[in-house]
Amino acid sequence: MPERREAYEEILGRLNRRLRTLYQCTGALFQAESEQELLQSICEILVASGEVRLAWIGYCEDDAEKTVRPVARAGYGLDYLERVKTSWGELETGQGPVGIAARTGNACWVDDIRTDPRFSLWREVALARGYASCVAVPLIANGKSAVDLRGTLNLYSAERNAFDEGAIEHYTGLATSVAYAVTALRGSLAEDLAHGVTALRASAERKRAEEALHQAREELAHVTRVTTLGELAASIAHEISQPLAAIGADASACLHWLAADRPDLDSVREALAAIVKDGHRAGAVMTRIRALLARSSVAHEPCDLTGVIRDVLLLVSPELGRYGTVLQTSLATDLPPVMGDRVQLQQVLLNLLLNAAEAVRKVPPDRRRLVVRSTVERREDGPWAVVTVEDAGVGFKEEEAVRLFEAFYTTKPGGLGMGLSISRSIVEGHRGRLWATANPGHGATFHFALPGAP
Amino acid sequence: MLPTEPIGSIPRPAALIEGVQDFRAGRISQPELNALYESAVRDTIRSLEATGSPVITDGEQAKDSFATYSIYGLENLSPDGVPISFADGHIRNLPRLTAGPFRYKTPADVYLEVAQRYAHVPLKQAVVSASALSLLYPQGGIRGYSREQYLDALVAEQEGEIRRCLKKGAHVVQMDFTEGRLSIKLDPTRRLLHSFIDLNNLVLERFSAEERKRIGVHTCPGADRHSTHSADVDYAELLPSLFELRATSFYVQLANEPNRTRVLKMIREHAKDEQRIFVGVIDPLNPRVETPEEVRDHVLEAAEYIRPDRLGTTDDCGFAPFSDDTSRTRQTAFDKIRARVAGTALASAVLDQ
Repeated sequence: MPERREAYEEILGRLNRRLRTLYQCTGALFQAESEQELLQSICEILVASGEVRLAWIGYCEDDAEKTVRPVARAGYGLDYLERVKTSWGELETGQGPVGIAARTGNACWVDDIRTDPRFSLWREVALARGYASCVAVPLIANGKSAVDLRGTLNLYSAERNAFDEGAIEHYTGLATSVAYAVTALRGSLAEDLAHGVTALRASAERKRAEEALHQAREELAHVTRVTTLGELAASIAHEISQPLAAIGADASACLHWLAADRPDLDSVREALAAIVKDGHRAGAVMTRIRALLARSSVAHEPCDLTGVIRDVLLLVSPELGRYGTVLQTSLATDLPPVMGDRVQLQQVLLNLLLNAAEAVRKVPPDRRRLVVRSTVERREDGPWAVVTVEDAGVGFKEEEAVRLFEAFYTTKPGGLGMGLSISRSIVEGHRGRLWATANPGHGATFHFALPGAP
Repeated sequence: MLPTEPIGSIPRPAALIEGVQDFRAGRISQPELNALYESAVRDTIRSLEATGSPVITDGEQAKDSFATYSIYGLENLSPDGVPISFADGHIRNLPRLTAGPFRYKTPADVYLEVAQRYAHVPLKQAVVSASALSLLYPQGGIRGYSREQYLDALVAEQEGEIRRCLKKGAHVVQMDFTEGRLSIKLDPTRRLLHSFIDLNNLVLERFSAEERKRIGVHTCPGADRHSTHSADVDYAELLPSLFELRATSFYVQLANEPNRTRVLKMIREHAKDEQRIFVGVIDPLNPRVETPEEVRDHVLEAAEYIRPDRLGTTDDCGFAPFSDDTSRTRQTAFDKIRARVAGTALASAVLDQ
């Protein structure tokens, strides 16, 4: 009776080990993220179970020798695989259990490596590493599957007769599961790549849309600049015609003096100097206008904001003068340079000044005044330049405040309603902020703040 | 005269193959190996020019293989990547990326610069497709380096490579897309093929229409030694999708197709008007050298399906896409190219009449 009980316990222990092995292998089948990882895990689990001394998986190659190439291995005496050659062909190297299992699709085992003639070719090397019996089970996926998989799972035990019918059934079932898992993993290549390419495509489309939007904004900003300059046409014409008229008068005077018997050369020299000065003045106006009309790409570079303000004031001063509007300035002397596009920043200020000029046009003359200020704000991230345009004009109602910067919102008859919207997008494109406040008495103040250049 | 261009590779001289082995074994230095490369490039270009070919390549003499030249020697690769099985049973393993970031080590324009020192006729430059290199990324992923990051870097690398080749004066840049048919073998649902096409288009779309006139795509079932990896996949599975690639020139393996007229009909049906088709008229796998008259007849056959102003000729594949491939001789390759050039001229004369 004790012998029978011992035998039962041994069988129970073996079944327990196989169940535990199967449980661990199942985990690997579901968790492995690559084919290589799966095959290696299976070999390691089988060796760790204590039932086998060496476990390896080989794939069949269609080369001339019909090699069975080891692709995963674990256990004792791994150099065994470097010392021996196995094949699934009809040659001598294909007559062992590995070759037979691969060729026939059926498990093949050797109960005693010492005596089985089928193992004679590898016997010496195997015995030297303590292998006493072995089994090879096929690892095959074919049929309707797209995956071309042919190989074997090979196990070596330190005990003779280690692989009984139950063990062979156990390992054959496991090999079938591994083949299915390999099929699934290879199939996921298409899934993984499709996912990656789709994400990349979405990113490319997003970038393209952003570039198109950016370009549309630039074009819109250009159109708005041209439109704004159109509004200034009368003042600009006046600004240019004045020096041209002076040039004409001075040139006539020169001709008159030069016609005399004794020309008054001092007067001629003085008149010519005036002609040069007036020519430069008209040229400067043209240069400023040409810059605003240009459709150049946006270039962010260190930019002197005080210079920007002075340029714009020169452009709008004649327009203000036409309606008797008084312009006052209070410009900081220590304004930090900002990173920005000079033309775009001129556009913002020009837009604010022309809005303010229009706002004061219909109010009593004593309120027709604008104040342009620049100040420095010290913030945690460094100095910021703040520019404000203040008027005492018609102002805006509280409910209008939120809509002022919306595209196509305007309170001006015939206005497009794009000026403030574009100005805000320009300022935000410079990492700055543009906002408006109602003055306590009359009118409104528009502010924009830009970070100083690093 | 119909345009005629080679695909790329020419078998390496025995001295170079031995030199590479000596270098790997530490028996010769890098400068000594470089001298062998330079000598092989010079000799190959001289021989190619002697064939009368109006467009030549450097014969890919300094490339390890058409697929891995740009990444050869990177430290974040291991050799056990995706296996590619060929019909004769041999296997080529692609490398596997083990860590990010990904950058090319030796892009194609480096090879172009060397070739330009010796060439007297326009030089064509082959580059491996992004889809082929997409297979380097392991299925299990790489911790801290996602597949999206890898593909993004890959597309940027290839854009830079092609752009530099164009800028340096390559007559045309040919994207080697040999994995098209293979993808159908791996995934009969063709989802993998569509991903390949989409990925390559992400590269091609970065170029203007004008630039794309100098970009082509080569397709074949992957010749190596005496075998192919995917000739058993029906062309009908690939061709409709192939012409979705936003390239102008297509270099299509045709000479060793069992039913050429069927393929030509498919090309006529699916190729877009602005695309030029260079049909393969030379079979590099066949050791017999074609006669110019045979080539002429192949071209005239193709001209029945493709308008001559959209037709060109080429070889079915490179003559040694892998540097260790000695299954063909250099002389056979040059003789076959000479036959292509002569046969194309004969066909052009007939078509001009």
